[in-house]
Amino acid sequence: MLVLTRKAGEGIIIGDDIKITVIELKGGGVRIGIDAPREMKVHRQEVFDKIKRENKEATQWDIADLNELGMILKSGRDKK
Amino acid sequence: MKKIQSRFGEIEYDPSNLLLFPEGLIGFEDLRDFIVMPNEKAGPLFWIQSVDDPQIAFILTDPTDFYFDYKVVPDGREQQKLGIDKDDECLVVSVMTVPPSRKITINLAAPIFFAPKTNRALQVILEGTQFSPQTPLPTVEEKPSEE
Repeated sequence: MLVLTRKAGEGIIIGDDIKITVIELKGGGVRIGIDAPREMKVHRQEVFDKIKRENKEATQWDIADLNELGMILKSGRDKK
Repeated sequence: MKKIQSRFGEIEYDPSNLLLFPEGLIGFEDLRDFIVMPNEKAGPLFWIQSVDDPQIAFILTDPTDFYFDYKVVPDGREQQKLGIDKDDECLVVSVMTVPPSRKITINLAAPIFFAPKTNRALQVILEGTQFSPQTPLPTVEEKPSEE
């Protein structure tokens, strides 16, 4: 991993069109500004990892679950 | 028609009628083509099976069935990936999880947009949302009192 030291107000350029700026350091956190093309997805690591884990977990089911789920959802709908 | 062996057995499908995730799902970026499987029993559920990995299948449902105020729409960039214009129909579905604890949850933090016109789908992560990836299903039955 490339490790660089930056001060508030300084930045990093990645490739042709990504710019990362350290905005401020405050209370143990770092505020970072990111300029990137709109089609580039930018996510906080822990949010992304959580979704990834959840998707993985979501593949662990079997056909019997489908019927059970269907019944639960249907009963919810019928009560409305 | 073509056939694949899934972990649920043999599935026959029409290769011209696959659901395409141009970016895969999060964590499964390489899996692009899915077969849409209707649930055999009546209900708002269906599931999708990866054509390329027999182990990978997801249960999906329409979250607005029980979360009326759940409203997400694709932005311009996402519409482009789906191959649609802003006036084209775009449905929202959510991935359901059946964990070992059997406490079924629905992922409202990363919905899937589905464009019927192009048969394309895109999973997106909602940033700064109050919706959880493990939203419990609303309880519909009276819980027995625990006193």
